[in-house]
Amino acid sequence: MRKHDRTGSRLIIGLMFLFLYAPILLLMIFSFNAGDSSAVWKGFSLHWYGKLFQNRLIMESVYTTLLVSLLATAIATAAGTFAAIGLYSLGRRKRDALLTVNNIPMMNADIVTGVSLCLFFVAFFQSWGAFAKWFNALELSLGGHALQLPERLVLGFGTLLLAHVAFNIPYVILNVAPKLRQMDRNLMDAAQDLGCTWMQAFWKVMLPEIKPGIVSGALIAFTMSIDDFIISYFTAGSASSTLAMTIYGMTKKRVTPEINAVSTLLFLSVLVLLVISNVKEARQESRERQGAARRTTAMERLAQKISEPRYKWVRRTAAGALACVFIASVSILSYATSSRPVVNVCSWGEYIDEDLIDQFEETTGIRVNYQTAESNEALYSLLKSGGADYDVIVPSDYMIGRLIAEDMLEPLDYSQIPNSSLIDDRFRHLPYDPDDRYTVPYTWGTLGIIYNTSMVDGEIDSWSALYDDANAGNVLLINNSRDALGIALLYLGFSVNTTDEDEIRQAYALIEDANRRGVFQGRAMDEVFQKMEGNNAAIATYYAGDCVTMMYNNEDLAFVIPKEGSNWFLDAMCMLKDAPHQKEAYMWMDFIASTDANLANMHYIGYASPNREALERYPDYYLEQEGEELDPEIYDIMVAPPETLERCEAYLNLPSATLSLYNSLWTQLGTN
Amino acid sequence: MRNKLSWFAVPYVVWMAVIVVIPILIMVVYAFTAGGSGGGGLQITAENFTGMSVYASVFLRSFRLALIATLICLLIGYPVSYWMAHEGPGFQRVAMALIMLPMWMNFLLRTYSWMSILENNGLLNQLFQNIGVIALYNQIAPFFVDIRNVFAAHFGGAQIGFVPIEHFQMINTPGAVVLGMVYNYLPFMILPIYSVIVKLDHSLLEAARDLGADRRLVFRKVIFPLSLPGVLSGVTMVFVPSVSTFAISRLLGGGTQMMLGDLIEQQFLGGAYDPHLGAAISMVMMVIVVVCMVVMNHFGEGEEQAVIL
Repeated sequence: MRKHDRTGSRLIIGLMFLFLYAPILLLMIFSFNAGDSSAVWKGFSLHWYGKLFQNRLIMESVYTTLLVSLLATAIATAAGTFAAIGLYSLGRRKRDALLTVNNIPMMNADIVTGVSLCLFFVAFFQSWGAFAKWFNALELSLGGHALQLPERLVLGFGTLLLAHVAFNIPYVILNVAPKLRQMDRNLMDAAQDLGCTWMQAFWKVMLPEIKPGIVSGALIAFTMSIDDFIISYFTAGSASSTLAMTIYGMTKKRVTPEINAVSTLLFLSVLVLLVISNVKEARQESRERQGAARRTTAMERLAQKISEPRYKWVRRTAAGALACVFIASVSILSYATSSRPVVNVCSWGEYIDEDLIDQFEETTGIRVNYQTAESNEALYSLLKSGGADYDVIVPSDYMIGRLIAEDMLEPLDYSQIPNSSLIDDRFRHLPYDPDDRYTVPYTWGTLGIIYNTSMVDGEIDSWSALYDDANAGNVLLINNSRDALGIALLYLGFSVNTTDEDEIRQAYALIEDANRRGVFQGRAMDEVFQKMEGNNAAIATYYAGDCVTMMYNNEDLAFVIPKEGSNWFLDAMCMLKDAPHQKEAYMWMDFIASTDANLANMHYIGYASPNREALERYPDYYLEQEGEELDPEIYDIMVAPPETLERCEAYLNLPSATLSLYNSLWTQLGTN
Repeated sequence: MRNKLSWFAVPYVVWMAVIVVIPILIMVVYAFTAGGSGGGGLQITAENFTGMSVYASVFLRSFRLALIATLICLLIGYPVSYWMAHEGPGFQRVAMALIMLPMWMNFLLRTYSWMSILENNGLLNQLFQNIGVIALYNQIAPFFVDIRNVFAAHFGGAQIGFVPIEHFQMINTPGAVVLGMVYNYLPFMILPIYSVIVKLDHSLLEAARDLGADRRLVFRKVIFPLSLPGVLSGVTMVFVPSVSTFAISRLLGGGTQMMLGDLIEQQFLGGAYDPHLGAAISMVMMVIVVVCMVVMNHFGEGEEQAVIL
């Protein structure tokens, strides 16, 4: 009836696809990069794909992600569809009220949903624990042993799945609702008047009508599940982590190209699946068109077939099978986590040579549940919500001070960690743990300026470069209140640990003034890699070990610890109060404190080891691994020499009044 | 049939009461208390709300950028869904799959990728450099600056000089943040609109045409009102995550375009640990969003009624 030209509209649709796919294409190209940068191309290689399959953390998180997303999507789609149908048969006033409640999880910031769900689960587990104790005692007193309720429930796959279902259902309803509005309400009545049972009417009339809504609801639910990081982080407990959680965990250091590789593979496999199903459908369609049959999609045909009474068993089996898969996967997961001794470790992304985990598991038979957090504060937040049952964590110095002050750490029995005697004297009796009761140092390093010699005139030796108009628009401010204000304090000649409000305000004024003059290009944490390696910014402040990585990718970069002094930091292993697997935790800490493990970690992470022997032997180890001498200058950046370290000051835990001043100033900086 | 069906809603209402309402109540408690983390017990206070005027600029910026992103999504998404719904079934299937596919790649990774495209020395700027767009701009722009200066001299404005640029500033601007939002949430606009348009009753359109309406009138009086439920869903699904995003503004705005999501995230996960303030801010944000949505849905319901009558 109207055969107008479609070239224009197709052109625009094509442009939209270009927009959607350009960044993905770029990401896929860089997964074949020989180097580890996402800004500098160093030649074609399949290196990262090879490494990917040896990376247990990534492979396991891919598995968890797929399992959680598929199950949550299936459950949420079914539940959401029925809920939507139910809601639409209510009166309008009731329906609108319920729909508003339904929309709340979507309107809430993810992080708030995550934290509140975590608090809710923890509160529920506590009351359950009390109930189970009472019940078990009652049963024993009555002489029964038949049913012992578990007293200690922890966050895990179950809560993760519940949380995903919870935030997926609203999206399904939101998509099904418009279709129900569109549907003629009399259709169902008509079908039943004509002799359909209710079930038949549902399958043959209602479902085909609302099917597009269900499909798009399911697709969106799946997408939400795959992408969610923050709700998962607060509800997953210590045994399982999703791919998105692993990726965000890497942002404290950097996202590895292995992640690009795994994303490319997932993307391509979905693409292949889609192509196959499309080709099949297209073929079937053309066959049917020849037979002059009505054109339907495969799903519709399936739905119609299944809805015939003789296929009732198909429906029942399908439902049964789904339930079985669900129960099996949940029980397998809980079995996997309960049958072997385990230790739950939480660290930062890209902060361990993962071969060490395999070695430890092989020699001891203990399973390591290795999870990553995004930052010290994120870890603290999770601990405070009660959602973590980790045994070993690796926080930084100032956070350790805070955790000790709040009585959240377990004093260690060093006789069970013989390798702790190898820790160099420099890293003993540090201010955050003066009596060496809680910590086994893991790595240490310094904060300094990394700059691009081709974009800056002359050498930099002072923090003043960060606030200088000469570098306007080329400086990256470190996106972390403690470091940014600490540097300003050092530049002004104050201590990084000052509690004097006036000094802190002066430091803030310095940053704010530079910000107003447009010196800062932006704030950056892990983005600094991409920006510095790709010549997008000239000056940044970052951690020594990571700067070595950047210098390897861009030869124009140089690193300096300014003359005013700097911060030096230390991350240490600690055990959480009342950790459930203390014996295993001691074995893990001792293993990681060994010289071999320290050498491997130092080589992999680039941060200095606190182990005396490892520090001495590292140049030889480097020669052995890489087949070339280690540049002494690079060694001095990684392991700051004593005279440099003397200029540096470690962070202490600040009193809460000072912390809230930091917080309000830092928040204020962004609002101007 | 109605009464029978309404039983379907019961389990969900129970579920909502447990898993939606209780956690929200926990957060309300958080929002109206202070202290706790730094030692000492919780105190009931409204301070978290009274001190919030400091963040007015963040609220304004968030809602403004999210609104712009939603409008752009609608302007792109509506015509695209409309055209797609009029293509052949094969085209539709492939196009829908292609629209969803990017979403299954991690959101953070895609945003990182945009970062390297928009960077000062990024892909786009290098392209502009190579095909001479930047040189062209440096030649043409002085001319416009001169014209402006002539006017300024007449009307007493300040004179400005022309500084040749080396690159277009794209990253760390509000525009980049909006682009990130449009990129990430566009599919959420297209999906619901498309699924409504594709199911439109064609006899209605034919009837309208038979009654003498031209194509524009059919669209304005029949198609658009009928597709409003989809538009409303789409607007909700784009606007809400845009307001509360934090990764997009951090990566593409370089921390210079602080949004509500960043503010809240800082209170829970960032250097500024104050979950009480975070809860309070998100409560206020939620109330504003809910009010917007209720107003919008009301408007939508009215349309639906008008059509049915």
